[in-house]
Amino acid sequence: MTREGKMEPSEPPTEVREQAFVIVPAYNEAACIEQVLRELVTVYPNVIVIDDASTDDTCAIAKRGAPYVLRHLINRGQGAALQTGIEFALRRGARYVVTFDADGQHRVEDIAGLLAPICANECEITLGSRFLGETIEMPLTRRIMLRLAVLFTRIVSRVPLTDAHNGLRAFSRRAAKRIRISMDRMAHASEIIDSIRRSGLPFREVPVQIRYTAYSLAKGQSLRDAVRVVSHYLLGRVVR
Amino acid sequence: MNLLALSLFQHALLVTFVLLFLGSVWAMVKGWAGRREGPIWAAVWLAAGVAVLWPQVTSRVAKTLGIGRGADLVFYCAVVIMLIGFWSIYIRLRRVRRDITLLVRHLALQEGEKEATRKNDTPGMANTSGQSAHSQTDTAKPE
Repeated sequence: MTREGKMEPSEPPTEVREQAFVIVPAYNEAACIEQVLRELVTVYPNVIVIDDASTDDTCAIAKRGAPYVLRHLINRGQGAALQTGIEFALRRGARYVVTFDADGQHRVEDIAGLLAPICANECEITLGSRFLGETIEMPLTRRIMLRLAVLFTRIVSRVPLTDAHNGLRAFSRRAAKRIRISMDRMAHASEIIDSIRRSGLPFREVPVQIRYTAYSLAKGQSLRDAVRVVSHYLLGRVVR
Repeated sequence: MNLLALSLFQHALLVTFVLLFLGSVWAMVKGWAGRREGPIWAAVWLAAGVAVLWPQVTSRVAKTLGIGRGADLVFYCAVVIMLIGFWSIYIRLRRVRRDITLLVRHLALQEGEKEATRKNDTPGMANTSGQSAHSQTDTAKPE
């Protein structure tokens, strides 16, 4: 399924790779996580999997493949898992924090492109954008939904992004400290954008490739989920 | 007003409201209810008791407010009170959920730190002594 893109950045220097912590929130990803971790750990030695109380073998598989595996005893959602991972990474002295989905839709090669502007002190946060990059086999319904999400973000958060809900992001240590994800479930994507805007830290979108597989699509958000996410997010903005 | 003239239904309601009123006063005295919440709920139950004892009062208030019938006023008030109740329960539920998340995170981080420290210490465990085992538990604290 992988197609080597034309925007292939070089691998980051060893010290950057060693100071970068890649956070992989996972919930029932037993079918896919082994391959994802195998690809990740060959380049990045510090991979943190946050098993969000999976009911399958995700935790056991992750323990074989990742140096750090944290386990939520109760399922708290992706936002909560990310925040747990960020806090752990900061405690372990991370200089760079990368968030990476466990369902195999992201490419390890793209992390280098996300880290490069942060290492060069050009910005503090980089957000992966599938619309700037190449997307493999994105269905039309998904494309429309994501475009609507972008429009929603532009209106509500007033941040002009091309892709609002991409799980591939990178933060400097300073930025990771400022990010506070309090929305447990999927509404955290918009919340992160809000806190980026509030932090006033410079950010940039970086083209990344997304691999759409039957598996990642099944794990993705449906239209009904999207409605729920929007209502959670809006309520979360009203009720603190 | 003759209490004996009241119907069985009115009696039951009256007893309920009196108990609820006493309950909210008790909660205020004990400090269980918030400074704003306590008096509001006491006033609500008091008003409900008055409405049961003197139903004509509701009609008079309703007319002044331009609603028409006393029964409608009671109905509207009940709906509003219920909505406020649901809202406050919803907010409390969110708070509880957030607390659960914080607790779950705390446990995950604690366990993760312990595990990481154990792994990091393993290569240096060549000089196995009671002291090194002790220092291992000491470093399990977050940085």
